Amino acid sequence: MNFNIESPTSKEELLNCLRNHQSGYFRLAAGFTDLLIELKKSKTEELTVINLSQIKDKQFTGIDIQPSGIRIGALVNVAQIGKNQSIRKSFPVLQQAADALASGQIREVATIGGNICQASPSGDLSCALVALKASCEILKMDGTIRHESLNDFFRGPAVTSLQKNEVLKSIVIPANQTNKLKSGFIKIGKRSAMECSIVSISYHFQLGADAAILHSGIAIGAVAPTVIFCREAADFLHKLNVNKIHETDQLKVAELIQQSASPIDDQRASAWYRNEVLFNSAKSIFEQD
Amino acid sequence: MDKNLNIIGKSKPKLDGKERVSGRAVYGHDIELPNMLHARILRSQYPCARIKSIDCTKALGLEGVKCILTAQDVDVNRIGYKRDHPVLKKDANCQRDEIAAVAATSKEIAAKALNLIHVEYEEIEGIFDPFEAMKEESRQINLHGKGKDLYGNKNIAESFHYSHGELEKQTKRSKVIVSRRYELPRVTHCCMATSNITADYSTMDGRLTLYASTQVPFLYQRDMAHALKMDPSLIRIIQPVIGGGFGSKLDMYPFEPICALLSIKTGKPVQLLYGREEEFLASPTRQTMIIDLTSGADADGKFTFREVRITMDNGAYTSWGATTPFVMMQTYSSLYQVAACDFQAKAIYTNNPFAGSFRGYGNPQATFSIERNNDLLADELGLGKDEIRLINANYPGEITGQGLHFKTCGAKPALTKVIEASNFIRKNREKHKGRYLKGVGLASMLHVGGGAKIYRSDGCGTRLKLDHYGYLDIITGSSEIGQGSETVLAMIASQELGIPMKHIKVVNTDTDVKPWDVGVHASRTSFVAGNSLLGAIRLMKQKLDRKAAQLMECEAGEFLYENGLIKRDKKEIRIDKVAREMHFGSPNELCIVEYFYEPESSFQDKQFMGDVSGNYAFASQAVEVEVDTFTGNVKVRDVYVSQDVGRVLNPMGLQGQIEGGVATGIGYALTEEMIYEKGYLMNPSFHEYKLLTAVDMPDIHFYPIETLDEAGPYGSKGAGEAPLIPTAAAIANAVSNALGIEFLTLPLSPEKVLKAWSEKKQNELANSQSI
Amino acid sequence: MDENLIPISFTINGEKVSKRILPSLILIDLIRDQLQLKGTKPGCLEGECGACTVLVNGSAVNSCLYMAVNIDGKEILTIEGLSSIEQPLHPIQEKMLEHGAVQCGFCTCGIVLTTKAFGEECKKEGKIPTRKEVKKSLEGHLCRCTGYVKIIDAAEDYLTHPSV
Repeated sequence: MNFNIESPTSKEELLNCLRNHQSGYFRLAAGFTDLLIELKKSKTEELTVINLSQIKDKQFTGIDIQPSGIRIGALVNVAQIGKNQSIRKSFPVLQQAADALASGQIREVATIGGNICQASPSGDLSCALVALKASCEILKMDGTIRHESLNDFFRGPAVTSLQKNEVLKSIVIPANQTNKLKSGFIKIGKRSAMECSIVSISYHFQLGADAAILHSGIAIGAVAPTVIFCREAADFLHKLNVNKIHETDQLKVAELIQQSASPIDDQRASAWYRNEVLFNSAKSIFEQD
Repeated sequence: MDKNLNIIGKSKPKLDGKERVSGRAVYGHDIELPNMLHARILRSQYPCARIKSIDCTKALGLEGVKCILTAQDVDVNRIGYKRDHPVLKKDANCQRDEIAAVAATSKEIAAKALNLIHVEYEEIEGIFDPFEAMKEESRQINLHGKGKDLYGNKNIAESFHYSHGELEKQTKRSKVIVSRRYELPRVTHCCMATSNITADYSTMDGRLTLYASTQVPFLYQRDMAHALKMDPSLIRIIQPVIGGGFGSKLDMYPFEPICALLSIKTGKPVQLLYGREEEFLASPTRQTMIIDLTSGADADGKFTFREVRITMDNGAYTSWGATTPFVMMQTYSSLYQVAACDFQAKAIYTNNPFAGSFRGYGNPQATFSIERNNDLLADELGLGKDEIRLINANYPGEITGQGLHFKTCGAKPALTKVIEASNFIRKNREKHKGRYLKGVGLASMLHVGGGAKIYRSDGCGTRLKLDHYGYLDIITGSSEIGQGSETVLAMIASQELGIPMKHIKVVNTDTDVKPWDVGVHASRTSFVAGNSLLGAIRLMKQKLDRKAAQLMECEAGEFLYENGLIKRDKKEIRIDKVAREMHFGSPNELCIVEYFYEPESSFQDKQFMGDVSGNYAFASQAVEVEVDTFTGNVKVRDVYVSQDVGRVLNPMGLQGQIEGGVATGIGYALTEEMIYEKGYLMNPSFHEYKLLTAVDMPDIHFYPIETLDEAGPYGSKGAGEAPLIPTAAAIANAVSNALGIEFLTLPLSPEKVLKAWSEKKQNELANSQSI
Repeated sequence: MDENLIPISFTINGEKVSKRILPSLILIDLIRDQLQLKGTKPGCLEGECGACTVLVNGSAVNSCLYMAVNIDGKEILTIEGLSSIEQPLHPIQEKMLEHGAVQCGFCTCGIVLTTKAFGEECKKEGKIPTRKEVKKSLEGHLCRCTGYVKIIDAAEDYLTHPSV
């Protein structure tokens, strides 16, 4: 493994870097936890990696809380997300997804931007963020910003809408409109830690005074080419009392969620298993414990 | 035996632990010699192929490449237990086959050179199923195999047949008979340090020094000499600190003579380290087996017979692992009382990677099949699963059908203990409802506890050196691979000679220095090396007693050794003074002794009858699980372990062996499996081969049984392998108890469990509708 | 070749170091091969086993997945940095020995460092971790010898007696 590296320290240097490399092959990296594993296996000789991790600009590295929502810089690492008190309070689904990702050592370096740009169908943060209806702020080479919903940003396994002249700058999660929440992340794997999801479900329900679901987001991971937002299931739940969802409605939600999935067989699990577990886990969201 | 023990039986931290915990311990990966080259191996692109040509020109042209070896460049003997394994291959017989090896001035250059070697292959359709391999029309997989002459089938690598009792009669008098086919997966050791070796050949004197992580240095020295056509005495094996063994380092593998050859050819030290992927691809595995077991019991629940046919996938070459039937047949013949047993096992060549030996050595597989069948027999007889086991439990004084003599036997106490501690009787009958279903399972095991006489000697030598200042060197033939043998040996010496632990050093890593030992395996080290040490201590005490008596002007005879003093009545003298006086005065001798211990065990005869071990270890485990019927995940909640260890020597060290063994057993039961497709390993990484993590670990409750067997040091028995042997069986029994479903294969992966559960639910639904 | 080398300055085990490194150099290779600190173990080189764990600015990371260029200006602590002439073993190491958490020892050094980082974090938050949290803190470490129980015991003992 041998590659060249360029380490811009500011937005301007980054844009310059991008401009210089438009005609050649380059890769972007921040935490390197995925890229290094890929490069160790590849035989590529001529490669430049643009190392984002030394960029100091707050818009890349900070968590910014505004009345309208929360902006998380693409270089914020997963551990920071897991430990952030605002996120813990307002978006438990994201905090839980962050805590469930790989190991403590990986979480210290892996970034939210990297996790998203890998566009893995089983990406834990991606799954939570899609349920939260997050959007991307993408810095273009000319310095302008392009906005896109995260749901649209994902185009396929390991494919995003990101162009060669663009870098993911930050993620914006819209603020909750109510204070009462039911929000969580379900991750199914073979062991209790260090797992890549076989199925994941993110849910984030904002509740009215009577526990009625006013705003809902549900996303599923590892059961389709991308993370999927389960619109029908979310719509179906509108105005239902979160504590009194009848068993038939629970089954209906599980069915709707399952219908939005299109899993395949792979080494980790069969499509049958993924379907089954997705259904069962979806059913369990509203089970009172 | 009834003397006051103030060291033995008390927890002692690992003697060499400080080195290991501080990063100072030198493992094979940490060795750097001047001018050292780095080696890499090119492995076959196909599991089965003819090699038409190998072109190394480009690779040799790369700056820094010092040597490339292929089969044509070396004059070596084949290796392996059956000598059917070429060091470098002329044709490819499995995915891990070594085609060429490079030595270069850096790791990076060596890796680059591999990519420049051009091999032209002609791929051949491989044979990956042992049953297919046994067909008449199948081609011979290993051309050096002797199966045709020895066993009537060219693809049989090894075959065993054993029987005792009257099978037919016992079959007839059986009230219930259970027949099942079990399939056990390939799993691997996952030593945290990957395979490694550093070879240093001196062209000056023709001596070869190998820094090798072997478990069996003296057999290894001999095997290496055979491979290289060298005089064994010219080969010195130095064992660096070993980062995990578990049986994986029992055989010598091709990478080791290859590294030696590169050093011989270049005249420079050469180091070869596996990466983790290579470790998965090319280090040994536990045997995958297909076991057809028929078990019977009479109306009283007494076991009548076991008839078993085992098909082992040997892979392309034969390792010591092919001899696991030695251990398995003991389990079939003698775990619980069985009136008759008929055992056949065949190791079949395939184009899969070859198996090796792995902690438990066939016993987890055998125990799994027996203990699953036992639960089924109990069900059919309407007996409790605890009852059927207690009825048939082994007992002290028993001489089994195979001739194993259980002079002491903690089988029944161990069973009773885990049944009580786990509240087994109540829990096994409880029915649960809802998403999470609990179950409890029981299994026992029998294993050698006093070595195993398989090789011509099962002995161990010890040299003891007491210096002028009262410090003791224990130079032992035995090897330390993390299990804590050096601590136990120091404890024994401290106990007997009254020398504080911190004045004792254990020297155990150099074949030029240490006396012969057969190696670390068969849970034998505390037993055999311990007895050897006790023998040496006896000799040393004779010397010291004589001199002490003279110095203290008292009668010869026994003295008390305590706190660095030799005492009798009110007289005492410092042990170091005795050692000095022995040297400087009469008889002008050093206080050095040597002893070789050979266990009293005997060889088996041609029919495999015989008492092969100094004593036998017994254990039972009860496991409580909780199955998530939504996902199929099995969570092990509690493991109750009771084991006849003879005598607890170092409680903390013993408990560490128990917990580690159980953890490996849980992995075998639930998550671990090497997935092969047409000879290719599909999951060669820790990402896809699932070892359990700290988060997965259940609570482990351990209850040692002390039977004080006179053969072992202070009455102790071997204990290292036992804890993982019954675990998978107990877990499978527990899952069956929770779900009311039988499982015939491992691992009990979430998918397998969920599938069985949903089929059961569908059948129940269909049945209820049809009524 | 030399013009491709990148200058970096960092502190390792309290000592300031400046080096010129190949751009693609990985931290574990810098530590083991160039600085000769062999206590950092190469277990898998893919971030799965944790044997190579070191602390970067106090956080436990896998040195096999960390770019050496990114330690510029940072503080590194390896297992060797825990020992001093006055105090050869850190209390965590003492606990590991006392509880019998060390068998082959290849995983141990990484675990010691992760536990140190987790201890500092707990101290900062003023909390005493539960056993469950202790287990979770060790999730990124594989061990084949011990079955983890004694490692968890040792870490818990250290982490719940924060005075040391």
